[in-house]
Amino acid sequence: MPDVFSQLQTEALKTFTSIQTLADLEAARVEYLGRKGRLAEAMKDLASLSDEEKRAVGKSANEVKRTLEGGFAAAEARVMAAEQVERDEREWLDVTLPGKVPNIGHLHLTTQAIEEISGIFSHLGFVRARHPEVDWDYYAFESLNMPKDHPARDEWETFFMADGEKVMTGEKGKVVLTPHTSNGQVREMERGKLPIRMISIGKCYRRQSTARHLVMFHQFDGLMVDKKVSITDLKGVFDHFVKQYFGADRATRLRPFHFRFTEPSFEIDISCAICEGTGKVSGAKCKLCKEGWLELGGAGMVHPNVLRAGGLDPDEYTGFAFGWGVERTMMMRSGINIDDIRVLYKNDLRFLKQF
Amino acid sequence: MNILASYNWLKEYVITSLSAEEFARELSLRSMSVETIERWNDRFESMVVGVVKAAEKHPKADRLLVATVDCGDQEVSIVCGGTNLAAGMKVLVALPGSRVRWHGQSEWTTLEKTVIRGVESYGMICAPAEVGFDKIIIGDHDIWDLGEITDAVAGTPIVKVLDLDDVVFDVEITTNRPDAKGIVGLAREAGVAVDADFVWEPVSLPKGTSDLPLSVRIEDTERCHRQMAVVLKNVTIGTSPWWMQKRLLLSGIRPINAVVDITNYVMLEYAQPLHAFDYQAVEGSELVIRAGAKGEQIVALDGKTYDLNGHLVIADAKKPLDIAGIMGGEHTGISRETTTLVFVASSFAAAAIRRTARALNIASEAQLLFEKGLSVEMPPVALARAVALTLEICGGVVASEVFDERTKPYEPKVFPLRTDRVRDRIGVEIPDKKMIDILERLGFGVAKNGKEYTVTVPYWREDDIEGEIDFTEEVARMYGYHNMPAVLPASRLPEGSDDATLQWEAWTKRFLSHQGFTEFFSNSLVSTSDLECYAVSPKDAMAVFNPLSTDHTHLRPTLVPSVLRSVERNQALTASADIFELARVYMPREGNIPDERLALVVGSYGVEDAGTTFMRLRGVLELFAAKTGIAFLFDRLPEDSHWHAGRSATITLDGVPVGTLGQVANDFQVAFGIHRPVFLAMLDLESMLPAMRHTNRYVPVPAFPMVTRDIAILLDERTEYSKVQSIVCGSSSLVIDCGVIEIYRGEGIPSGKKSVTISVTMMAADRTLTTEEVDEVMATVAREIALRVDGVVRS
Repeated sequence: MPDVFSQLQTEALKTFTSIQTLADLEAARVEYLGRKGRLAEAMKDLASLSDEEKRAVGKSANEVKRTLEGGFAAAEARVMAAEQVERDEREWLDVTLPGKVPNIGHLHLTTQAIEEISGIFSHLGFVRARHPEVDWDYYAFESLNMPKDHPARDEWETFFMADGEKVMTGEKGKVVLTPHTSNGQVREMERGKLPIRMISIGKCYRRQSTARHLVMFHQFDGLMVDKKVSITDLKGVFDHFVKQYFGADRATRLRPFHFRFTEPSFEIDISCAICEGTGKVSGAKCKLCKEGWLELGGAGMVHPNVLRAGGLDPDEYTGFAFGWGVERTMMMRSGINIDDIRVLYKNDLRFLKQF
Repeated sequence: MNILASYNWLKEYVITSLSAEEFARELSLRSMSVETIERWNDRFESMVVGVVKAAEKHPKADRLLVATVDCGDQEVSIVCGGTNLAAGMKVLVALPGSRVRWHGQSEWTTLEKTVIRGVESYGMICAPAEVGFDKIIIGDHDIWDLGEITDAVAGTPIVKVLDLDDVVFDVEITTNRPDAKGIVGLAREAGVAVDADFVWEPVSLPKGTSDLPLSVRIEDTERCHRQMAVVLKNVTIGTSPWWMQKRLLLSGIRPINAVVDITNYVMLEYAQPLHAFDYQAVEGSELVIRAGAKGEQIVALDGKTYDLNGHLVIADAKKPLDIAGIMGGEHTGISRETTTLVFVASSFAAAAIRRTARALNIASEAQLLFEKGLSVEMPPVALARAVALTLEICGGVVASEVFDERTKPYEPKVFPLRTDRVRDRIGVEIPDKKMIDILERLGFGVAKNGKEYTVTVPYWREDDIEGEIDFTEEVARMYGYHNMPAVLPASRLPEGSDDATLQWEAWTKRFLSHQGFTEFFSNSLVSTSDLECYAVSPKDAMAVFNPLSTDHTHLRPTLVPSVLRSVERNQALTASADIFELARVYMPREGNIPDERLALVVGSYGVEDAGTTFMRLRGVLELFAAKTGIAFLFDRLPEDSHWHAGRSATITLDGVPVGTLGQVANDFQVAFGIHRPVFLAMLDLESMLPAMRHTNRYVPVPAFPMVTRDIAILLDERTEYSKVQSIVCGSSSLVIDCGVIEIYRGEGIPSGKKSVTISVTMMAADRTLTTEEVDEVMATVAREIALRVDGVVRS
């Protein structure tokens, strides 16, 4: 090997081993391995040699090149590793600082429940409809098979709107604050589009205000009308809803009940989450439920008189309907335990921002 | 309405050996819902009859006695405070391990052997309330003397002595079935529900005599449908036998005297209220059912005086004796001195009873039944039972004819039954035979009429069965809803989708919550004072005819007062917040139900400066508009006393005003008691809905780069940005956008001036702009601004 290569190799390797910084590394690369570096220069000088000399020297020159590249790579790895250690040391964060929570808005619990409930019924093809929250007596009572002297039509239970000193009346009777969302049933039938799979969610009002009952609350009213709709269909729809909303482990039962606008009528109970349907919590009576069951709400087959009021022939069409309190349904799901329901509509931001 | 039903009593009429739990489950699934099961038989463990051998003064306590009590297999010493305790008395001894309630008030506790002031006490001698009989009245500090009830020997278990091996169901009776609020009616239901025999035979009415005079007349034929009466004489009214007292007690009713107890007992059994008057108190020997006269009053059994004007009463020749169907008079009732009495049994119009009860604010067991509608055929059955029980318990004889006045004849209802329709509605193939069996066992008469059936309704169901459809329910419930399959409906789906306004309502709420706004949700009913605080005339809002409180008198025609009230309530607890409310408002319409419109208020109260808050809210609205394919124009608001004159803008959409954005006028902020400025955007969302759509339009990404340059301009304080913007954007076709980077006032800026830094974005569709082209545009911008708004470009 000509002296020039051997000297270059010795010198370069010595330099590479002594490199400490990234800047030195780059300088050394340029000096020895750069396009105009010393190795390249020495290689260039080989051009003047004869073919035979070239073969002899060329071989050892290439060996020197590989050795230099290897030496540089080792130096580079060493410097980068040192640099990494130093960077890690320098770039330090206090990872125990608390997280900075993004400022987000909060939807009201009732809004969330409405969204969720309508979403579940939407799976089954139920369509959300909008109906008045202040309506004629006709739609709220009369057309729902509730006779004139029915207690719900008394001023003791239902709010009426005033026209001066009198109850406001018009073409379809008195004007009432709907005590249930069932006023949408005959209205929906009157649209004349069949079949009906409707879910109507709205504000309702009753003349009572306690820790468990609000003057204003929400109901969701479902209506399905078609040929040959039967109780077994209704059971299928409820089963689906309860399993989706409350969880697959909750059981349902239909219990006979009485409503004017359905026949047969029943209440839907779901098994209590607190006592797991046993009615007992560590030997004592469960305070939440009745012998293991909680009332979810009312339902039934649409009364023929209601179908008639909606312009349908009850011998041709049948249907089922249900009306449940949104707040009640929401409270019954385990997890949210609000002892005084009136807190819902007080708009205390400390409450609203919890959800 | 609920009934406390003793299982043993029910089992007198329905023959079953089911456990209480099984019975309750079947009854709940097919008939009436059992809400709780109370095991009386468990209450008397370790309780026995004791005979007091001796009672001596406690050596260390004046008011206590030390009793030596024979408990059969043992003689024990018990410290007792009973003032009536005496040797020879038969008492209820609760031995250690039994559960009692001290003085009938506190929680149930388990007794232990104890030492009271140095004397050992082995258990307790109890008063009725201490073992759960709160309704038995004895003297204060007395203990229960069992001598009247039993002659059982010492040591006999109390559960046996009092015959309390029983379970009580608390059953909810649906309002259409007052007949089932009686033990007999409930037993009839249970017989079908648990598939057991129902055994009950009505007693016959007694033979009348003409011994004592009485006349019965119905004057108010609208409200009284039937009136029966009979006089009994030579009765001895004492305490009713224990078996009757016990059943009243288990049903939650206080025993009083034998005749009152009999009327209550029959009411519990048949769900038909009865009343008994002292015959001597009935002046003129006549009973008239009429409307109360003006000024007429009665002191009822509850001791209160009621004004009877127009209300239905049972009266004698001179005075009202009874608020019909609700409560008797205090001075005409039965006492232990009564020897001649009149039993009355009536049938009234349900609604009339309900209205009187509400108007007089009075309630009773009888009224609760009558207002649900009772059968006109029930009075004779109940009256016969009451007379038979009285003759058996109190002795005496029937002393008048059995009066029976009625205002309309009774015809049983008959309806056709198409069993195919029943099967269709239920969705299960229930055979005819099964249906007929159910109906017949419930008391319906079923006749086959060719292919169809006709069904006769029994008298006790005359009020609730209204047509063929009701038979479906009878069949379905007794077949058992739990026996029916659950099937997801496979029929056609409706056309169309969710109501568009509701979709937008939900979308908008989500959008705003994503922008950091928290949702208020207020009552739609607001107070007159909140409306007035915001200068909304109550005349422009619909008023409630019968409000429950002054807080909820009007339906809100705007959301703003509710939002401001909520801000006021929150300001001390949550210093600042971004909030919104989206709900319907109710606009009055002449002679019509209101126009319900979706309204939106978005707002911010708290710490930031006015300019930033305004711009932030406007930014949210602009983003909202961009996302819903609409464009808002904001212009300075013409004078409007609700809004801050200098800090408010009117919002228009397609040339139509749809809302306002700005600061609430100081007067209104003060009126609501709010301490710091509130900025609100108020939108009539309803009117915007037709224009709104979800925008997902594709615009090709520019092929050449955009260039953005900033320029700082010194402007007069009152030079509005909109002017600057139009100058900049109009200065060259290459300018595609401009925006505000910063507005600076302060050091280096003369007063009355502001420095506005603007970003100018430029682009050409067909080439990359050269530096020269950009410089030229910026020079034009500077020149135009200098020329038209007197702006000076700062270096």
